Amino acid sequence: MKGKVVKLLMVFIMTFSIFTGFMNKNTYTQVNASASDSYLSNIKKKGTIVMGTAPDYPPYEFTKNEGGQAKILGADIELAKQIAKNMGVKLKIKSMSFDSLLVALQTGKVDMVIAGLTKTPERAKSVDFTIPYYNGGQSLLVNSNDNSIKSYKDLNNQSVGVQTGSTQYNLVKQQVKNASLKGMESVNDLVLALKTNKVKAVAVESATGEAYASNTPGIKAIDAKFNTAKAQNVVAFHKGATSLVNAANKTIKAANASQEFEKKFIPEASKQMGTSAKKQKISVWQQMYNYKDYFIKGTEYTILISIIGTILGLLLGILLALMRLSKNKLFHAIAVAYIEFIRGTPLMVQIMFVYFGLGTIVNVPALTSGIIAVFINSGAYVAEIIRSGIESIDDGQSEAARSLGFSSHQTMQIVVLPQAIKNILPALGNEFVSLIKESSIVSIIGVTDLIYQLRIVQADTYQGVVPIFIVMVIYFILTFGISRLLGLLEGRLKHEE
Amino acid sequence: MKNSDILKVENVKKEFKNNLVLKGIDAEVKPGQVIALIGPSGAGKSTFLRCLNMLGKPTSGAVYFDGQDLMKLKDKQLDSLRTKMGMVFQSFNLFNNMTVLDNVKVAPIKVKKMADAKATEIAHQLLKQVGLDNKATVYPSSLSGGQAQRVAIARALAMHPEVMLFDEPTSALDPEKVGEVLSVMQDLAQQGMTMLVVTHEMDFAKNVANQIWFMDDGQIVEKNEPEAFFNHPKTDRAKDFLSKVI
Ligand SMILES: Nc1ncnc2c1ncn2[C@@H]1O[C@H](COP(=O)(O)OP(=O)(O)O)[C@@H](O)[C@H]1O
Ligand SMILES: [Mg+2]
Repeated sequence: MKGKVVKLLMVFIMTFSIFTGFMNKNTYTQVNASASDSYLSNIKKKGTIVMGTAPDYPPYEFTKNEGGQAKILGADIELAKQIAKNMGVKLKIKSMSFDSLLVALQTGKVDMVIAGLTKTPERAKSVDFTIPYYNGGQSLLVNSNDNSIKSYKDLNNQSVGVQTGSTQYNLVKQQVKNASLKGMESVNDLVLALKTNKVKAVAVESATGEAYASNTPGIKAIDAKFNTAKAQNVVAFHKGATSLVNAANKTIKAANASQEFEKKFIPEASKQMGTSAKKQKISVWQQMYNYKDYFIKGTEYTILISIIGTILGLLLGILLALMRLSKNKLFHAIAVAYIEFIRGTPLMVQIMFVYFGLGTIVNVPALTSGIIAVFINSGAYVAEIIRSGIESIDDGQSEAARSLGFSSHQTMQIVVLPQAIKNILPALGNEFVSLIKESSIVSIIGVTDLIYQLRIVQADTYQGVVPIFIVMVIYFILTFGISRLLGLLEGRLKHEE
Repeated sequence: MKNSDILKVENVKKEFKNNLVLKGIDAEVKPGQVIALIGPSGAGKSTFLRCLNMLGKPTSGAVYFDGQDLMKLKDKQLDSLRTKMGMVFQSFNLFNNMTVLDNVKVAPIKVKKMADAKATEIAHQLLKQVGLDNKATVYPSSLSGGQAQRVAIARALAMHPEVMLFDEPTSALDPEKVGEVLSVMQDLAQQGMTMLVVTHEMDFAKNVANQIWFMDDGQIVEKNEPEAFFNHPKTDRAKDFLSKVI
């Protein structure tokens, strides 16, 4: 027993060290590259600069429904366009959750991050910053009828909503006594938490606060009056990419001289911002209907990811199950290690590992990464489904087959598998259904599935709950419909007996 | 060659994880012999039977079949060896995913590469022989225990084995179904089939077998003619056993 465990561990460590070996080597070459700093020339060679942002932060960055297309707009985007233009390259925008942005920068998924990001000493350790392009204030969003809060000082012992990884998070943590911090990824969710009294206030950057306050009935923005210098919004680049920082600084200096950001970019962006149904004088459902293409597109991606994930997962699962059942001790150990490892770690972490981790070796797009992670994950579960399906067949069946002269291969093929399949198929159907639900997590790396579209619609319409409800119904129709369909198939299979 | 041993076992030992289950067995079987293996449960009867067709390989010792040392055979040769030894199990083990007819003909087709038409013909013939040709198209789940065991016997016979191994073929049956299976076995014995039968049916052992091997605690304690064994057992252990079962 002990020997087995040790062997398993060895396999683990070996696989892992191969991986990390790769990655170390990779970062090493990147560090080398930065010493000679070919960042700017590389981007000029490519002809495009990739910007990472989290577009749920109006008026800095947000998405807008324009002729059925989700467009990312905002003051930060205008700045990015100028930076790109002055470098003589095209701008490409990648959206993902705010938390993932700096990791994406460090792992080379994006070349720069502009996301209402403010300069902090901690962040400066891992990335390089430009000079500030905007000095924003800090606001608190509170319910309109709540007059008890005049500044951050009134929040002592209260629960306060903040974006995870944001400047406001640290400000509240350091300056508000005994605050219970509710960290969430998107401002939409925070506003929803505020309206449903889950939090007393939401701390956000001023321009964003104004945008939400003016579009969300029942909430207002007040000055937070934090004891701090004005927050400095900056552009982030890869550590050591001095050539890029210098190039961007030139653009920012010019813009700052004419106060372009506050006088031009923010007002323009504010005009483009989506408006609430109330302002448009249409019903919520009418407004949701206008966004139907988002929900349809999201559904398509969710189904696509689940189907490809299931099919590839099935192939991988069969392979793993065969390896696990094989007499070859090495194959067996590898399969066991793989299955246990994958089943012992969350899908979310696997997705981030594939996208950011493997991404340092080969550049894999978000959708592909999502699919890879989903099938890597599903393979382990399918392998177990197949194995338990096979093991559920009484040993007597294969004994009888062997006693008649069947080879072990024939026994499996002619006697065991045809019986096991009847247990395996329904379980595979369940796996497919649960993949539809679980794949929702791929939105964290910016795959445009249902959840991702949900975020966009929320940000765009200032509707917190209704889009969630719609997406919930869509998920239910999908899973219930598919379960029913599989149930019918199963019934037919049984009938054939 | 005619009177030489069809099966010969020399000092066969079988160990499961430090548990010595067979403690050195010597025995031989002549063609046409019907041997009843009796003894208390846990004595190692099933284990011994499985050593004969190498479903479970002995830990040491030698097993000769038609003069061939089975311990020296490779996996593939063992597969074709097993076609010469039919085996019938206590729990029937009919293939649940096949009809009765398919159960009987699948091995000739897949293992012996026999043509389907020929295999079907043989299968029907054997099903008639065990009185179940009318059940050819049904699945095993709709058979009674006695019927299932007769199909299992037909399935083993379809490979034209030289020896038949039975491991408590009637132990899982309702008492009123035991007779139909025993009578099929008796017919088989009369046709001259070489048989090793693990059984608790003492009447069958007395009347059909021509040798009794009494096993206890991993050894064959006594080999005897049925008449002598049941009336004047040589060993105390056999006496003790008989006093309990009869
Ligand atoms: N696969 C196995 N693994 C471990 N022990 C076994 C195995 N098969 C049989 N045994 C043990 O061997 C002994 C003899 O079993 P068996 O041959 O089935 O006896 P019998 O058929 O005479 O009742 C029992 O103690 C049983 O527990
Ligand atoms: Mg037994």
